[in-house]
This record gives sequence, C-alpha cells and structure tokens, in this order.
Amino acid sequence: MSEPESAARRARPMQAGLAVLGASVWITIWWGIVVAFEVPPDFLPTPWQVAEKLIWLASHGIGEGTLWIHAGWSLLRFLSGFMTAAAVGIPLGLLMGYAPPVRNLLNPLFELFRNVPPIAWAPFALLWFGASFGSQTFVIFTAALPPMLMNAYQGIRLMDPGLVNAARMLGAGPATLLFGIGLPAAMPLIVAGLRIGLANGWLALVGAEIIAGPGALTGLGFLILVGQENLQATLTIGAMAMIGFIGALLDYGVRRLELRTARYK
Amino acid sequence: MSFWRSAFVGGSEEPGGGSQGMAIKPPAPDNDVRYEDVSMRFAGHRNAQPTLAIDSFSLDIAASEFLVIVGPSGCGKSTLLAMSGGLAIPTTGRVVLGTEVIRRPGPDKAIVFQNFSLFPWKTVVENIEFGLRLNGVPPAERRERLDYYLPVIGLKGFEQHYPRQLSGGMQQRVAIARALVLRPRLLLMDEPFAALDAQNRTVMQEELVRVWSEHKPTVIFVTHSVEEAVFLADRIVVMTRRPGRIKEVIDVRETTGATHWRTSPLDRVMRRGDFQDLRGRVWDLIRDEIVVG
Amino acid sequence: MRYGRFAFGALAIGAVLAAWWAVTALGTVSPLILPSPPTVIEAAQRLSDGYLGASLLAHLEASLSVVLSGYLAAALIGVPLGILMAWARPVEILFGPLISLLRPIPPPAWIPLAILWFGIDLTGKTFVVFVSAITPCLINAYVAIKEAPPELIRAARTLGAGRAALLFRVAIPAGLPTIAAGLRIALGSAWATVVAAELVVATAGFGFVIMNGYRNIESDVMAVGMIAVALTGFVMNLLFRIVERRAIPWSEHE
Repeated sequence: MSEPESAARRARPMQAGLAVLGASVWITIWWGIVVAFEVPPDFLPTPWQVAEKLIWLASHGIGEGTLWIHAGWSLLRFLSGFMTAAAVGIPLGLLMGYAPPVRNLLNPLFELFRNVPPIAWAPFALLWFGASFGSQTFVIFTAALPPMLMNAYQGIRLMDPGLVNAARMLGAGPATLLFGIGLPAAMPLIVAGLRIGLANGWLALVGAEIIAGPGALTGLGFLILVGQENLQATLTIGAMAMIGFIGALLDYGVRRLELRTARYK
Repeated sequence: MSFWRSAFVGGSEEPGGGSQGMAIKPPAPDNDVRYEDVSMRFAGHRNAQPTLAIDSFSLDIAASEFLVIVGPSGCGKSTLLAMSGGLAIPTTGRVVLGTEVIRRPGPDKAIVFQNFSLFPWKTVVENIEFGLRLNGVPPAERRERLDYYLPVIGLKGFEQHYPRQLSGGMQQRVAIARALVLRPRLLLMDEPFAALDAQNRTVMQEELVRVWSEHKPTVIFVTHSVEEAVFLADRIVVMTRRPGRIKEVIDVRETTGATHWRTSPLDRVMRRGDFQDLRGRVWDLIRDEIVVG
Repeated sequence: MRYGRFAFGALAIGAVLAAWWAVTALGTVSPLILPSPPTVIEAAQRLSDGYLGASLLAHLEASLSVVLSGYLAAALIGVPLGILMAWARPVEILFGPLISLLRPIPPPAWIPLAILWFGIDLTGKTFVVFVSAITPCLINAYVAIKEAPPELIRAARTLGAGRAALLFRVAIPAGLPTIAAGLRIALGSAWATVVAAELVVATAGFGFVIMNGYRNIESDVMAVGMIAVALTGFVMNLLFRIVERRAIPWSEHE
C-alpha cells in the first residue's frame, strides 16, 4: 500500500470519530431546544421520544404491520421501480450511444418528458396503477430512468474509440461491441448513474407514498402521513429518520460498488 | 469464416498433430497484399473542401514481406493502414489480401495501435485471449498458444496484471501478443513504438523482429522514424505530403544482402556506413516533403 | 444532414402523439384514465379562463411565489455557507455533521412535518422548498471552493494575494460555473418540490389543479396541469441558462 493510501486509511477512523461527535452535539442541541423552550411533544419531541417510538414500532404494528413491514414495502416498491429503470435505461442508453439513428429517434422524446418532474406523474399513476404498489413503482421508475439512461449514453460517447477499432479488428460483432466492450467501458459512468438514479428514485418513493395517502396502506412515507394526521410527531420524525438512514445505507452500498468497478482504471 | 479457420486449427493437417513443441504452421501462401490504384477522399465539413488524403496508391507486397511506410506528418500513412485493416474503405481502387478484397476488419488482418487500445477491465491474459475467444478457438488450443507466446513476448509473470499496472512498453507487448496469437496473415502496425521512450523503443524493435521471425505474417509498418524504417524494413515506401502518393520505393535488401541487419542489435547496426548512407538517402527524400509552417 | 436529425425527432414525437390519439380514439382505454388530445386542448382553453375561482395565471403565480421565496432564501444562505465551510475548517466541523444528518432525508418527507408545524398555508410549502433547494446550493458551493484549481491559487499567492483576495478574487470566480450549476439544479428541485407539496395539500397552484382534477376524475384537467408544470419548468431552466451564459461567458456550457 502506498504512503498516501495508508495515511488516508489512518485518517478515516479519526474522521468517523469527529463525525459521530459532531452528530451527537447537534442531537444534544435538538434535545436542548425542546427542553429549554418547553416545546410540546406533538410539535417537536425529544430525540429519545422518537427513538422510543421507533423501538415500539419495531415490535408493535400500525396499520398493516410493524416498522419492518412498512420498511419492507417501501424497499420493495423502490427496488421494483429502480430495477426496471436500470433494465430499460442502461441498454437503451448504450444503444443510443452506439447507434446515432436510435439516438436521433429517442432523444427528442426523452427531452420532452425530462421536463416533467417525476412526482407530477403521481396522480395519473394512482389512476392507472393503484395506490398500494403500482403508483409508487411507476413514479420511481420515471425518476430513476433519466440519469441511468443519460450516463450509459455518455459512457459510450466518451469511450476510447480505439477500443472499438481493436474489438472490430479482433472480430467482434455488433452484440459483442455493445455489451462486451461498450458496457464495461461505460461502467464507471453507469455506476455513477446508478447512484444518482438511486437518490432520485428514493426521493420519488417517499413523495409517491405520501401522495398516495391512506390508500398506500404500508410504507415509511405512509407512516409519516399517519403521524401527521394523528398529530404524532414522534411517528413522523421517526419515519423520516428511518427513510434517511435506509437511503444513506443504499447510497453507501452503491459507492462501494463504484470503488470496486473503478479498481482497474 | 472457414477460410481463416484453417490457419487456426494449427497443425491438424500435419501428421502427428501440431501440439508438440508448438510447431507453428506457416500461414497459407495467400498473404500477399496488392494496392490497386487506391485513393481516399474525405468529405468536407459544412462548406469546406473535401480533402484528398491518398492519391493513386498502387503497390504489390510479397507474402511475408516486412514493408515500412514512412512519410511526413499528415501524408495519410494512418489512413492507408486503416484501409489495409478494413477499418476504412478507399474512395477508389481497392486493397487485396491474397484473393480477398479488404472491406471489413478481422483477425486475419491484425492491427497494433499506437495507443495500445488494450481493454482496461481485462487482465493481460484476458486481453490476449479475447480475439481467440471471439473466433471460437477451443480452450485447450487457447492455452497452448498463450503458453507459447507469453514467455516469447516477455510477459511471463504478468498474466493477471491490469493494463494500468504496466509500463508503456509492456502494454505494447500485450498488444503485439494479442495480434500475433491470432496467427494473422497480415500484421499492421500503426507507429506502434511512438508512445514509448527511446530505450524501450529500441528493445521493442528487436523483440518484434524476433517474434515476427517465428511466424512471418506480411507486415505493413507505419512510422515517421527513418532509423526505424531503415532498420526493420525489407522495403521502404516513402510517401509525399498530402495528398499522399508513393514518392519512392527503396529495397533495403539491396544494401543488407542476404542477412538482414535487423537480426543484429540496433546500436551496432547504426554505426555501419551503409546504414548511415541509406538513412541519409531516405531522410533527404522526406525532407523535401516536410512543409514548415 | 442537420435536417435529417430534426426530421427523425419530429417523427418520433409525431409517432407518440399519433399513438396517443389512436389509443383514445379507439376507445381501448376509458377516457377517465387517459384523456384524448382534443379534450386536453379543450380543457386547456377552459382552464385559461379560470379554474375554481382562479385563472391559470393566478395558479402559476401561487406556485411561483412559493418557489421564489424558498429558493432565494436557500441560495442566500446555502451558497455563502457552503463557501465558508470549504474555506474555514471550524465552520466545516461545526455544520458538517448537521448537514450529513439532514441531507439523506428526501425533501418530500418534510411535507407532512411542515403541515404539522405550519399548517396548510404557504409558510409550510416555502419551508419545504427551502429545504430542497439548499442542499444543491450548499454542496456545489462547497465543492466549487474545495476544488479551486491549485495552480491558480499558487499563481495568485506568488503575486502577493492575501487570504481574503484568494477567496473573493480567485476561488469564487473560478468556482462560479459549479456554483451556477448548483443554483440551476436547486431551481429544478424547488419547482418539483412545490408541485409535490401542492399535490399533498393546497388551495392554489398547478399541483392543486392536478390533484383536484384527480379527485373529480377529470383526467383532461390533470393533463393540462402536468403540461403547465412541464412548460414552466422548461422555461425557468431555459431562462436560467441564458442568464448563466451571459454572466459566466468564459466557461464551457453544455
């Protein structure tokens, strides 16, 4: 391991320690504000009250189930939309980068729809696919698709053209050029696109669940709504924290993937 | 497809098989190259005039000949190579390899690129193997060829490295191995050592000669280094500036005699008087073509 | 050759429009779910005269005023704070953890809390817009200064620039393209967020128009609302890019 790398590794536990310290300071400030200004708990509860609620929710149910059930449903919707977006967006982006006619055909359509904020599709999605699963999945798909498609497209466009010549010289056919050469060459950008698509998709999930309202029946966004309607800020804030936590976890996962695929660069 | 297959299936036509000691069967005697009045015109962008890159290029290259093309920058050498490899199609005329008109790229017209063009996500072995896999060479034979070429090209011990972990010289070795392992009829080299430092360059030139001698595809080697050309070539084609035409064809063998000097170390050869004279002669031909400013 | 590309694009859009028309004309889908193009156009004309007591322009104004106030606040706080965090380590240590804690929470998640805190009037929406817009403003400003080209800093120092000059005359100007990009993204985010907020609860605005259309199963009204949202977003983005190009002529714009 090189010198700067080992130094960076040593610095990381220290950074993490500093971050944890800083986070605790702010949480303490939160608690301090509640206590000092005697804020009512249905407006702003203390951190401990939120934690209590989450712990309670882990074993007791609200609506269709416990915290895990709700988180599970959110994740399920998210993954359905996200995976579909990847399965459609990445090959399409590769194709667009590789074949100008495809790009010329699809690009204007893409630009047209890009201006619609994904969340604006929610009402139509409710109409078409129902409030408990389909609407959220559709909105997530709409949100996650553009970055994945654009990054795959850019990945091909910015690729070293010499690689294509080399592959053709070796006897590669169009399918190999697209998936055997284009895909790996574009991989760093594709993974970056996955990261952005993940953030967009997770955001869209929450919005879609909230807009779906009580009809969603499950989900972390649904819990936020339930908390608000029943003036239980602990539930609302607790669900928000869960959403943030899971979102950060997913992002961390993709970042690890990013590092692994960049290993040979 | 069955045409070059026969070149791959190694020694299967020889009694006792071909896998002992890797008896390399010389390629079928149809790797001579003919340029028949080739020219290349590029369409102009927007309102610009079209440019004529190559004009009326006609040449016959014998089988297994080592031909070097030199010329000033912009004379179209790389375009010529692209056409010879099937990556570009001439505007008029045609390039013929054996009995085949070259219109598309393929493993029998292997190319070594100036910028290596190795696949960064593949290891050394995977890079070299890739062409073989694409063309359906069975695993046993792939293994055989790799086992033969890896030490020969000096890559033993680097099999699992990634290109970015290798120096320029090593990377180009991988590129050359990738080409040679296909046992091409034609080997095209586009300023392959231009990106290397001077020392590596000399080493690679000598390595190339050694490796080429085993199998002897026809070689078309493009360079703008006169020393390189005079050292390596059977014949040298000197090109004019754009539009590129043949200015003169020089047969180096008239000077070297039966034993070509490329089998001797470069530094020794460079001290020879006849080498210097030939080099001077080629350089004078090119000098007229170099436009200043 | 250019016209060929243009023709391709027009062809694609035309094909989609034709398919849309065909599907609705054939009656394969209920008009309640998918409005036909003529009904959408007709609804647009109706709505421009007024929808539930307010003209389309008034709804635009309602949405825009929320966006602009929230966005302006986010830009005026986020950009300087981001710059400061990148320039002064103590500020970074102080605010960094707070941002790390709050950032993973998607803006729409704040909507119900804002309703809890501020009720259903405009303050809550402005708050959520602020939350959504501040992140890109702050992060881009931070990155712009953190990644100020070291050669430029070095060159300025040899010319005798002090700390303040390095910040205001080198780092910030060099980082303007990145900061501008952050501001542009924040604007898009703000617009999307206000629409989301209006879809949840509102009495005016395009989001309200869409949601109300949904509740009355008026799909043509929904479609008009969506088109209005897209159009407004597009125009805002375009205007921003024009201003950006004039304010920062030296950088390469996509």
